[in-house]
Amino acid sequence: MMYSHSTNKLALAITAAIMASCAAQAYEVPLTFMGTNMPPLDFHGFLSQGFLYSSDYNYLANDSKKGSFQFTEAGLNVAMNPFPRTHITIQAFDFDVGNVGQYDPILDYASIEYTFNDEVGIRAGRIRRPGGIYNSIQDIDLARTSVLLPQGVYDARWRDFSSTIDGGDLFGNISLKKAGSLSYELYAGFINMADNGGVARFIQNGLPLGGTFEAIDQCPIFGAQLWWNTPLDGFRIGLSGGYISNFGYSINQFIPPNPPFPAFTAPIHFVGNIPFGQVSAEYLYKNWTFQAEGYTYNVSGHNYAAIIPGGSAEQPETQTAAWYVSAAYRFNKWLEVGAYYTEDYQDTTKISDSLFFQKDAALSFRFDIKDWWVVKAEGHYIHGTGLLADNKDNPMQNDNGWFMLAIKTTVSF
Amino acid sequence: MKNLLLKCGLLAALFVVGSFRSLALDGAVVIANSSVAADSLSADALKDIYNAKTKYWDGGQAIVIAVLPEKTDAALLQVSGMEAGAFKTFWQRLAFSGRGQQPKTADDAAALVALVASTKGAIAIVPADATLTGVKTIAVK
Repeated sequence: MMYSHSTNKLALAITAAIMASCAAQAYEVPLTFMGTNMPPLDFHGFLSQGFLYSSDYNYLANDSKKGSFQFTEAGLNVAMNPFPRTHITIQAFDFDVGNVGQYDPILDYASIEYTFNDEVGIRAGRIRRPGGIYNSIQDIDLARTSVLLPQGVYDARWRDFSSTIDGGDLFGNISLKKAGSLSYELYAGFINMADNGGVARFIQNGLPLGGTFEAIDQCPIFGAQLWWNTPLDGFRIGLSGGYISNFGYSINQFIPPNPPFPAFTAPIHFVGNIPFGQVSAEYLYKNWTFQAEGYTYNVSGHNYAAIIPGGSAEQPETQTAAWYVSAAYRFNKWLEVGAYYTEDYQDTTKISDSLFFQKDAALSFRFDIKDWWVVKAEGHYIHGTGLLADNKDNPMQNDNGWFMLAIKTTVSF
Repeated sequence: MKNLLLKCGLLAALFVVGSFRSLALDGAVVIANSSVAADSLSADALKDIYNAKTKYWDGGQAIVIAVLPEKTDAALLQVSGMEAGAFKTFWQRLAFSGRGQQPKTADDAAALVALVASTKGAIAIVPADATLTGVKTIAVK
């Protein structure tokens, strides 16, 4: 495993060198097939490296209290239009956030889309899941002012759960005449989560004593994203929601001896459903960007222990909610400053318990040093520990505020 | 209640005023590759192209946007409703989520005209004093 990660880091370093040498230019490669000129391939890529330092707890990176570089993202994509109204695009992705990702390269998306007209198109394959302003671009550092998105809405560790689906979507833009236009995406498919992904790590962290994690299931999902592009230039309002069914995972639970019964291990399978919803608003006014979003989801289901007679237990429904407001101002070509405030509640029945909430005020500076090179620095004042997740890294938690510094640089072409 | 009605009325008026678009590009013209059939576009149709709502020409040819950073930023704002930085971010979001192709960039007007001339389906805003060779001019109505 260590060798694999070293190899992946080496591949990442080579990618960085290639990107540095060809930065600032997208690459278009002409093709010929059986003597016929094919449409050119269009290449783009990016590489982001971050640094995280936190005052009281290890957050996102395992050892951020000491300062950590465990915050890397790299993507390379290729696109082409082989036939009229047809678009094919593929992206390879590599990332590391704490103990998630770990530089294992993944096929991020690979899709073919056909656009019938402005109102209707269809896309199929592995696709980025739409959701609010940032879900489909949550790991694209170039696309925002801040280093970290509000983590209650866009958790950097959960990208295998939230970012992509295998399936398809129907999309389009419908003119509402003087009332603006309505953009929509309706999607359905399956979520493929990794056994070492963020959700799996989250489950592992919450296991009772004697429990070991086994596997996480593929689960079906459907949903929609609607955007009303108002007649006021730059102002749009969004509504999205969906339903994940048969969200499941398996664990083995060690049951200690209880005479006359000996000790044994019980396989337990959890199956549940997750409805979710999000509201969004974004206003681009001159050099200002204003954004606000709210997000909520519910988890409910049953634990099944097949070897125990009557071994089914309902897991109480939990509602999680988060919101943020943000503003950013671009002073000139090279400097943008932004700020946001966000609150996250892991369990809406425990909104006063700092173990279950996290409130974060962030101030970000983005420097566009070159067209192809961005550097960001960001400070956070955080209250609560609801998103720390890994208790092993943070055995003692209290109600005091704490700080975090995040620095990130991205090169792209 | 009266205040609320007044505010709603003002907001509605603002939306209606914002919905009337007319476009006379200051110091810039719109050009396209000779493969593009259209000779003119409405301001709204042009905005839909720059806002990624229209991605293909009528015949199915993919629209390729080409830009000249800084020198045509004012006209780009008129056409798209976005400042240059926001426009770039908007297209990066689309490209890296698999939903579009980033605009191509050129370093100067001559290079931009050459890029449009050699790229099927290309469209660009160029300074009005640029020498236009091998491209067609698109009238904006």
